[in-house]
Parts: sequence; C-alpha cells; structure tokens
Amino acid sequence: MSQLDRQSFLGLHSHKRLAEVQVGLIGLGGGGSHVAQQLAHVGVGGFVLVDPDHIESSNLNRLVGGTHEDIAQRRAKTEIAARLIRSINPDVRIEEHVSKWQEAIERLKCCDLIVGGLDSVIAKDDLDRFCRRFLIPYIDMGMDVHTMAGGRYLIAGQVALVLPGSPCLRCMGIVTEEGLIAEAQKYGAAGGNPQVVWPNGLLASAAVGLAVQMICPWNDQLGRGALLEYDGNKHTLRPSGLFAHLQAAGCAHNHPDETGEMLFDIRRHIR
Amino acid sequence: MSIYVKFTDQLVGQVRDDLERPHAFAWERVGFITAGAMASSGGDLILFCRRYMNVADEDYEASDDVGAQIGPEAMRKAAELAYNTKSALLHVHMHKGRGRPEFSRTDANSGFEFVPGFFNVQPRMPHGLIVLNETGARGLIWIAKDRSPLYVNDFLQVGPQLKRIGGK
Repeated sequence: MSQLDRQSFLGLHSHKRLAEVQVGLIGLGGGGSHVAQQLAHVGVGGFVLVDPDHIESSNLNRLVGGTHEDIAQRRAKTEIAARLIRSINPDVRIEEHVSKWQEAIERLKCCDLIVGGLDSVIAKDDLDRFCRRFLIPYIDMGMDVHTMAGGRYLIAGQVALVLPGSPCLRCMGIVTEEGLIAEAQKYGAAGGNPQVVWPNGLLASAAVGLAVQMICPWNDQLGRGALLEYDGNKHTLRPSGLFAHLQAAGCAHNHPDETGEMLFDIRRHIR
Repeated sequence: MSIYVKFTDQLVGQVRDDLERPHAFAWERVGFITAGAMASSGGDLILFCRRYMNVADEDYEASDDVGAQIGPEAMRKAAELAYNTKSALLHVHMHKGRGRPEFSRTDANSGFEFVPGFFNVQPRMPHGLIVLNETGARGLIWIAKDRSPLYVNDFLQVGPQLKRIGGK
C-alpha cells in the first residue's frame, strides 16, 4: 500500500489535486505547526511558510516538531515546520519566509488557500482583507483562555472559513472595533495569551478538515464558509448558530471592485 | 507570460444563469465581466474577476451573421464600467456542451475587432474574451492593443470547492 491509499475516498484524482495545491501557512506556533504536519500527511504538495519568530522554551508546550535542540540553536519556526513536512513528504515544495506575512505577500498572492494562526486582531483583519483582494479562501484559527469567577478558567476558540463573497471576520465578530482599538493602544501587540496544545490541535484538525474538503470534497454538504465554535470546558466544537443568519445578510465590509492590485498597470509588465 | 483567471463560483453561476436565458430575437446572449489584475513575481498574469454586467434586452441588434450582435450602447456601458472601476473587461458568452469549449472563427474574428478598442478607455488593464460551457472555460487575453492575444492557461473557480475549469 502507498502512503495515501487509506484516504482513497477523497477521490480518484485526489492525490494529484492535493499535490498541485499551494497552501500558505501564516503563524507556525501552536496551531500552525499542527496544520503543517497534518497537511503534509494528507499529501498537500506546496507550502508557503511564514512566521517571523524563532522557537523559545515557552513554545515547547505546544509547538509540534519543536525540540530542545531547536531552542539551543534558536531555529526559526518556519525551519522547524519545513523539516517536519519534509520528513513526511520529501517531494514537497516549500518556501520559507522568516518575516511578517506582509513581507511575503508576493508569494502568498499565488496561494490556493491560506490558513492563519495569528494572535493579533489587527493582523487577522488585514489578512482577511488581503485574501479577499486576491480571491483566496482564508481559514482563521484562534483560541483564548478567559478568567472566570472563582479563579477558574474557560478555554474557548473558533475556526472560521472565509470565502470571497461570504461573511468576513468582521461579520463573524472575530474582528471587532473594540478589539482593534484595544490592540492599537498596545501598539499592535497581541500579548502573550495562554496557549495549550490540545485546543490548538483540535482547532487545527478542524481547519485541516475544512481545507481538504475544499480541495477534495468527499460529500455534498459543502458550506459557503464556516464558523465553528470551541468550548474547551465542555470539549465541544459546534457550528455557530449565528453563521446562517450572517450568510443570508451577506458581507457589508468588502466590495467586489477591490480585487487585484490597486495600482496595477499592464504596461509595466510588457517586455 | 502565463495567464490565469480566478473567479468565484457565485459569479460563474450568475453569468451562466444570465446567458442561458432566451432573448426575443438574438440566438444567444453575451455579457461582460470586470476584473482586477496582478503580475506574479514569476511574470504570470492573474485576473481576479469582480462582477458581471449583463447586456440589456434592448441593446441587442438583429443580425443574420452572428448569434448575438450588440449595439453601441452596450459597448458604451461596459466601457464606462471598466473606466470607472479601473477594471479589465472580459466579453463573455456561452457554448453548449461540457469539457473545454473552443472559440468559433466568428468569436475570434469579432474579438479582434472590438477587444483592442477596450484599451482606449482602460489602457492600464488587459482585456479579452471568455467562452463558458456547462463545465469549462476558455479565454483569450490581450495585454496590449497592438499585440496578438494569449490563451488563458487555467481558470480557477473559488467557492466551497476549489476547481480548475479549463484553459490551455
């Protein structure tokens, strides 16, 4: 049997289709490292890996593939993800960008799909808009640990699939004016929120499911976008009841005439 | 230069729904898609379709020579939209059948007559022709008024499923 025989239900040509696809992974920490590993197992053939950070001791509680040796060598998170992916699929195409995603946009524009594990609300908003401009489906993952009464905690999170023309992160309430203002007052710092491996893994698995379903659908229940809500105290992941209403209303935050490069001029590209 | 066209499944559905409607006297319908554009670092041109503009019933003209002849008012409206939105303009029509459609000689000849004129109103953008059928697409894109058009290498349909629906 070959590596992908057990997933033949994804379709006769799924191996080829997955190998052709190029996925942008933005943020290769707790969530992104899981996504990288799973997409490599599934057989995705192209990756654009983007993260400005190098691994630290505090990442080792959740960063899949990270080791003490990586910390000693202060390896980039993209390098760790690339090593992990290649160990599963040596024939893969990988571009690594140890930078903010805004510095890798030339390559990201050509991705078929982007998965983001960004903490910053401002960055989520910008990335959502970028993906819409270039008609790229965007899957956003996020989790938080909230303090409750009595000194207890609530783990919560979400996975959102944003398609061009469907509700955006602002429509879904993931990006809010209050959140943007609060973060701007901290000069764009999202802060070091508590993070643990199992919600990261669960949300990443849901994100991978949404991604693979778009590339090789194995059923007819394909939604136009998705918002899945995670309750880490009840250990549930459910479709948001709000999303159907949002779909009916459409997105008021983006305009179809905003696609493509703003100042594009074909005359500059004629040789 | 390789050329790719990207559109949402919603826009493609809108185009097909409109073009499949019968007209009182024209044999077929035509329309226009506007698009933004980018050039990749590898030199590829990618068009990102924005919206569809149908041709009003009254803007068709009777003709025994072609399936759909549209008058100057339809062209004026399309050109105005391309100018106002700084968009590429893609003339679109449909053929019956499945798989990759081909342009007829009449399609190509008429394209050579009117597409270069789109550069008069929007010289910053490429322009062209698209033909759709039930499952596929084919495209010819002019990158300059005085150059031969290039075939679209592939069409990428974005929706709940990511699909490639034709091209070279």
